[in-house]
Amino acid sequence: MPRFLLHRLLHGALSILGASIIIFVISRLSGDPILLLLPNDAPASVIAAMRADLGLDRPLWTQYLIFLQHALTGDFGRSYRWQMPALKLILDRLPATIELASCGLLFSVAIALPIGVLSAVHRGGWIDRIGRLFAMLGQAMPAFWVGLLLILVFAIKLDWLPAFGQGGPSHVILPAIALGWYPVAAQTRVIRSAMLDVLDSDHIRLARALGTPERQIVWKYALRNAAIPLLTMLGVYFAGMLGGSFVVETIFAWPGVGRTVVEAVFSRDFPVVQAGVLFTAILFVASNLLVDLSYGLVDPRIRDAR
Amino acid sequence: MNKKKQKNFIHGLSGLPWAALGVIAVVLICAAGGEALLPQDPGDLDLGAAFRPPFWLDGGDLATPLGADNLGRDILSRIMAGARVTVIVAFYAILLSGSLGALIGMIAGFFGGWVDQVLMRFIEIQQSIPSIALALLLAAALEPGLSTVVVVIVLTYWAWYARIIRGEILALKGRDYVAFARIAGVSTPVIFLRHLLPNIFNTLIVLATLQVGQVILFEASLSFLGLGIQQPDISWGLMLADARQYITNAWWAITMPGIAIMLTCLAANVFGDWLRDRLDPKLRQL
Amino acid sequence: MTLLTVENLQTHLHLQRGILRAVDGVSLHVDGGETLGLVGESGSGKTMTGLSLLRLLPEGSGRIAGGSIRLDGTELTELSETTLARDIRGSRIAMIMQDPMTSLNPVFSIGDQVGSPLRNHGIARGARLRSAVIDVLQRVRIPSPDQRLGDYPHQFSGGQRQRVVAAMAIGCTPRLLIADEPTTALDVTIQVQIIALLRRIQGETGAGIILITHDLGVAASLCHRIAVMYAGQIVETAPVRRLYRAPAHPYTRALLAAIPRLGDKRARLAAIPGQPPSLIDPPIGCRFAPRCAERMDKCAQAPPLTDLGDGHTASCWKLGTA
Repeated sequence: MPRFLLHRLLHGALSILGASIIIFVISRLSGDPILLLLPNDAPASVIAAMRADLGLDRPLWTQYLIFLQHALTGDFGRSYRWQMPALKLILDRLPATIELASCGLLFSVAIALPIGVLSAVHRGGWIDRIGRLFAMLGQAMPAFWVGLLLILVFAIKLDWLPAFGQGGPSHVILPAIALGWYPVAAQTRVIRSAMLDVLDSDHIRLARALGTPERQIVWKYALRNAAIPLLTMLGVYFAGMLGGSFVVETIFAWPGVGRTVVEAVFSRDFPVVQAGVLFTAILFVASNLLVDLSYGLVDPRIRDAR
Repeated sequence: MNKKKQKNFIHGLSGLPWAALGVIAVVLICAAGGEALLPQDPGDLDLGAAFRPPFWLDGGDLATPLGADNLGRDILSRIMAGARVTVIVAFYAILLSGSLGALIGMIAGFFGGWVDQVLMRFIEIQQSIPSIALALLLAAALEPGLSTVVVVIVLTYWAWYARIIRGEILALKGRDYVAFARIAGVSTPVIFLRHLLPNIFNTLIVLATLQVGQVILFEASLSFLGLGIQQPDISWGLMLADARQYITNAWWAITMPGIAIMLTCLAANVFGDWLRDRLDPKLRQL
Repeated sequence: MTLLTVENLQTHLHLQRGILRAVDGVSLHVDGGETLGLVGESGSGKTMTGLSLLRLLPEGSGRIAGGSIRLDGTELTELSETTLARDIRGSRIAMIMQDPMTSLNPVFSIGDQVGSPLRNHGIARGARLRSAVIDVLQRVRIPSPDQRLGDYPHQFSGGQRQRVVAAMAIGCTPRLLIADEPTTALDVTIQVQIIALLRRIQGETGAGIILITHDLGVAASLCHRIAVMYAGQIVETAPVRRLYRAPAHPYTRALLAAIPRLGDKRARLAAIPGQPPSLIDPPIGCRFAPRCAERMDKCAQAPPLTDLGDGHTASCWKLGTA
């Protein structure tokens, strides 16, 4: 186990390091950060002093090391707009994003699981067809449009659910659906094909031969096997939720990292953009890592192999 | 023999996804036709027609069959004009990300060793940043606009091509004729062009078609956030961003451009699936 | 006392190429406490016969097209799918499959899997379930079963897994046990143990056993009677000694000649030349005729079943003329 774990951790760390380089380089593409920090009419001497102070007169790779050193100590600079450390701002907004992403994932799995299972059990039947139609539609509808339609129908026309902000549990419903909509198709496919495989296996035949009721065979004995491939991909799906959260949070005015970063982009609030993107990358890598480590929870074979 | 060929040809035609091809054709014609095809000038303001509903509703008018937006502009004309941006972005983004990804994948697969290791790490790093986050970063650093959108998509999708092409090349490398060509001292570029590229061509075509829908969604999302296409250019995502502000007044301004996005993606995906089943069924698990 | 009577069983598989007559007019009977061996090459329809008894045919394509299956007087072909699952499968007829490595569910504990038929057929529930499972595992000789209930299949060896499968099958003391190649996937020493286990189970419960195998050696060690199948039909049935001593059908003789003898190290198997016929469009007349060394003109017509006395029957024109 330690060897495998170490390997995965190392790769994860390397990816995050790489991401930090990309983030740093792209940020510097925008030009001299000094000009953003000081008023336009600042005297040259002040600019030079500040430049030396921030290490901007040194070579780019040294600057990166300084950036990295600061980043490692949690210092991403201060948000120009919010007048607080960028890291603190991002950390404050993080729980909301994780809440939304989790609810979105929960929604998508809750839809995909039964449809995938029933599509496999009644292969070629009407559930299978409707499931496939929905999958095609789902992959053709951008999350933000789904969000707008949801607002239009459920918040404006029917006035059932709130459309903006964070509040009680009812606030999370619409954004979670908008976020979870897209991956439903892929998840349904994963479950469906895994179920088809399992239902054709010897142990299911044996369970049938011993008179196990069909409902138990499908929802207990086959499903736990079929859930493994879905589980192995949960990290990827969660990561997808984080990616989608930028758009969905913006539409629903959800006070999370995504919306904060989008706003920071418009106000050229670089420290916040950097911290936000790096944090998303870390969450991205971490969620994949976590899933790798949790295989064992569902698959006893792997539990022992490590 | 000949008859059989003919029969196969006809059989192939009957299986074509005609509806999807029809939608794709309409989008391409709108994109190519330019101003000439449009029923109205998409930038033409007519405040008297502001928020005019589609023609089948009370107060509708056939002059603006799908309704008008807050400034009285004809939504149908704007959707047709928006097709151009969609097609241009999809064309360049796919061409460039496909070429870049294929080249990197070929290099990684063909040379193997540390070259492969390094390139694979790059792919891993690239995939650790969500593409929208990368887009935000780039949009913050560069001027947003059509070329930024293309750059972002290329930076996002090359890794996808590279990984799959690398796998294909690894399989091809074991083939005799590639090994012979190497032993015979055929230069590497020649091996790439003569022996490897023709063999991955089908895969590339299939990947490219499957990417179309995703690129369209991506462009729309970026434009919607205000990080993609900018006014006065017309893009479906941008139309939706505008319409969002008066969602309570004009539901058609929200629905119509979205339906355009949906139909185009649907058509591209259906066609891509069809092509994949014909050319490269092993890619089905994508 | 006759436990199971099968008469003129017809099982069809509806494939794209046509209807495959996997079981074509099979009749057999099994008494309580008796073991009947169903022997034949792969594709002869012996496994399909076993699956037909439980109506576990490939979904969509498989169908019992005719004949009767009576267990203790109950006509199984007329039962509904739910009744069959509730009252027959696992409780009165149970099955052991070929590959113990794949016949256990990898993600459920042994305790759960062995307990499942007990639970579903109302043998034991709740608090009593655990002790019932331990009891069954003891009967198949799993060492210290109380400590292994929470273990998963991969923690058991192949032979132990087949014991667990046997435990699942005998939990509800079925009247009939269908064992489909139960030893094929196992080492020789383990094979002997599993055969001994089946014999002991039979002694304890008085169950009838149908042993499906391609291995006449295994069949000889366990069976009382043997039915030889070829191309979807039973060509010869006889008590085990009689079959080995005086095989009547040319196919049976060819099969016996193909058994490798101990000590005869490099003895070549007398392989039967040719291929079994297609069951989609089977030949008229004797199905073995194309491969038969003793073929006659008459073989173009289907041979009648000849009773040779003492429960020995065979279908061959030679016997009629003799």
